[in-house]
Amino acid sequence: MLSGTTSLTQAAQENIGPVSIEDPHYGEVLFYFYQEDFFPAIVRLLAAQDQAQFDDHAEEAELLLGGLFLSYGHHLRAAEIFERLLADNVAPNIRDRTWFFLAKIWYQRGYHDRAQEALSSIENELPVNLQREALMLRAQIAIDAGEYDRAISLLQDWQGDTEWASYAKFNIGVALVRSGRVDEARTLLDDLGHLNPFNEELTSLRDRANLALGFALLQDGQPYAAKAPLQRVRLEGPFSNKALLGVGWADAETKNFQRALVPWMELRGRDLLDSAVQESMLAIPYAMAKLDSISQAADHYLDAIEAFYEESARIDRTIGHINSGAMFDDFLLDDPLDGMGWYWRLEELPQGPAARYLFHLLASHEFQEGLKNYRDLNHLKRNLTGWQENIAVYANMIETRLEAYASRLPYVEDALASADLDGMVSRKLEFDATLGNIEETHDWLALATQPEFDMWEDISDLENTPALQASLPEAEEARDKIRLLKGVLQWQLERDFKDRLWRVKRDVRQAGEALVATQRSRRKIDETMRTEPQRLAELSDRVDGLTPRIEALQAQVAGALLEQHAFLQSIAVDELQAQKQRLETYTVQARFALAAIYDVSASFGDASQ
Amino acid sequence: MTKTFIRVVAMVTLAIGVAAVAQDADEAESRQEFRNLDRAVQTLKKDVLDLNRDLFMLEEELLFPANSQVAFFISMDVGAYFELDSVNIKIDGKEVANYLYTVREADALIRGGVHRVHMANLKTGEHELIAIFTGKGPHVRDYRRGATLSFTKGIGAKYVELEITDRVKKQQPEFVIKEWE
Repeated sequence: MLSGTTSLTQAAQENIGPVSIEDPHYGEVLFYFYQEDFFPAIVRLLAAQDQAQFDDHAEEAELLLGGLFLSYGHHLRAAEIFERLLADNVAPNIRDRTWFFLAKIWYQRGYHDRAQEALSSIENELPVNLQREALMLRAQIAIDAGEYDRAISLLQDWQGDTEWASYAKFNIGVALVRSGRVDEARTLLDDLGHLNPFNEELTSLRDRANLALGFALLQDGQPYAAKAPLQRVRLEGPFSNKALLGVGWADAETKNFQRALVPWMELRGRDLLDSAVQESMLAIPYAMAKLDSISQAADHYLDAIEAFYEESARIDRTIGHINSGAMFDDFLLDDPLDGMGWYWRLEELPQGPAARYLFHLLASHEFQEGLKNYRDLNHLKRNLTGWQENIAVYANMIETRLEAYASRLPYVEDALASADLDGMVSRKLEFDATLGNIEETHDWLALATQPEFDMWEDISDLENTPALQASLPEAEEARDKIRLLKGVLQWQLERDFKDRLWRVKRDVRQAGEALVATQRSRRKIDETMRTEPQRLAELSDRVDGLTPRIEALQAQVAGALLEQHAFLQSIAVDELQAQKQRLETYTVQARFALAAIYDVSASFGDASQ
Repeated sequence: MTKTFIRVVAMVTLAIGVAAVAQDADEAESRQEFRNLDRAVQTLKKDVLDLNRDLFMLEEELLFPANSQVAFFISMDVGAYFELDSVNIKIDGKEVANYLYTVREADALIRGGVHRVHMANLKTGEHELIAIFTGKGPHVRDYRRGATLSFTKGIGAKYVELEITDRVKKQQPEFVIKEWE
């Protein structure tokens, strides 16, 4: 289809819209999405969804997933998501744009019926740039289905002076020619053939319009009229060979064989691969014969037969090279395979014998799509190989952890057994009770420090010393001193009692908290001891389950790669066979013409004798 | 001679016409084959994606169990005053990540992407994070700025986001650290 290119990624990203990121996991998906690394973006999004990590972005995440699948070229899954999601409460403009993108991808993938269905699902007006493209898509689907009148009616009212208008005109013109309405097509294509292009794309379109019009007029028996548009085609461009051939035929149709020879001779020096050049090799001797240059005509036919033969042999060798199987791997040799999806396109063929013959296959939709799938399959293969290596490492890791766990467990159990937590709790409770009694009885002595307590004991002992009980003035003096000391000490202890009680209570409370934390840690250790083997066993089961999945998919990918390879190979070989077939047809034609020349020569010889 | 040539041309045209009909049939067959293969590739892609999801989750659970997992993210809000080149991250004085951003990655950050720059297993308790950002600041001058955070690692997974924002009043970038449990 002739159409301008709109970045679907950009459009899909617009579809997602600016979002305020409240969740780093969602932002992480966007980080890959904005870099067009769709595969890791999808994997992260699926994982986050599975782990219910998108509290704030659940709906956007689903929409984003659809966009990612679109971008990744996984249109069937994208459609499933959009159909499910858009059936609900999504804004109509987003839904319509989504249908449009789906239609575009389905068309690209050759699902014209689904593309049509998707376009029919658009309920409101699309943004202007998409509207134009949607209209073109509708028209193109109609053209492909042979419904030219519908295509014409769709594009008839197209207004505007943009590239799109030119594409629309061209598509209408082609549709009209195909439905036999050459005169109607003429106005449109002629108009287009005179346009003043501002870029290479439009210049090329102008050439195509002139070429299409020229050949349409030739087929319609209007050689005089055909010549002008054909002469407007650039002499050095992708359509110049066909135009030169056509100009020659226009002159030949008007019996002006001398003039016809001019463009045809120009073609002789060009690449023989082009069918126009091949045809010119027959046309030249035909014109020469018409001009009674029989001998020269015969020489040219012989040259043509030889050239066709050599070209045919080259094609055979190329077919052999393709069948050897290496060619498509060459295509991907320099490709890092780091991006996958819908946007990838092979722009240049790798150097080699096949490149010359398959160059225009690059423009072929199925070849490009097939190559894209081949490339994606290679990416999947590499991805699976990577996981296969990793999963073996993970299996070892789990095994090592299980062994380490088993070897450490007895030490841990011993350590835990020696830590008498219950005893500590009991002691703490006893301590609480003692402290309660001290507070209740205001037992200031209980909170004395060891030196204070020793001092108190010493004083009490002195107090009870028999020698000091005597009624002597020295004993009386000593008793007074002891009473004073005891009083001072008691006063100090009573004075500090509240403060000491507060400190002891604080320490006991902290000890209690530490004990609670220790109990919690102990419970965690018990829990871990109970769950760790279970967790490792579960991980081990998952590894065991994933390993065969990897292997099974590796086998499937390998099979699909072979099939895809065979498909691409068959497209390429079919293309070459078609080229060969054309050469054979031209060879037969040349031989017949040559035989006719010999017949005529022989007749002349007989007559002269 | 002319009649002969016309006959030949007619024959060739007929042959090409027949070939064209055959070609249409071939094209239809080829298109069908393409569709079948395409469906198979799509199914495979789906299966491989699902497998990758499961492997990704397994990998994370195995390497970074939830009770010790801490993930560090980099994000940008606007980013008019700072063009990010690299981020260096130290946890508890030890360098754990030194990430150099490509233009594509920096662009993805500006557009709202969030980059998981590092994953770590940390014990519960207090930790210190130092992040050093380098790049181009206002007036395209080399710019280097650090941000620190003391954070507590609890029992569950923890997420730390280092956000680069614009402080419009001062026309300077600002580095904000957010925490999620």
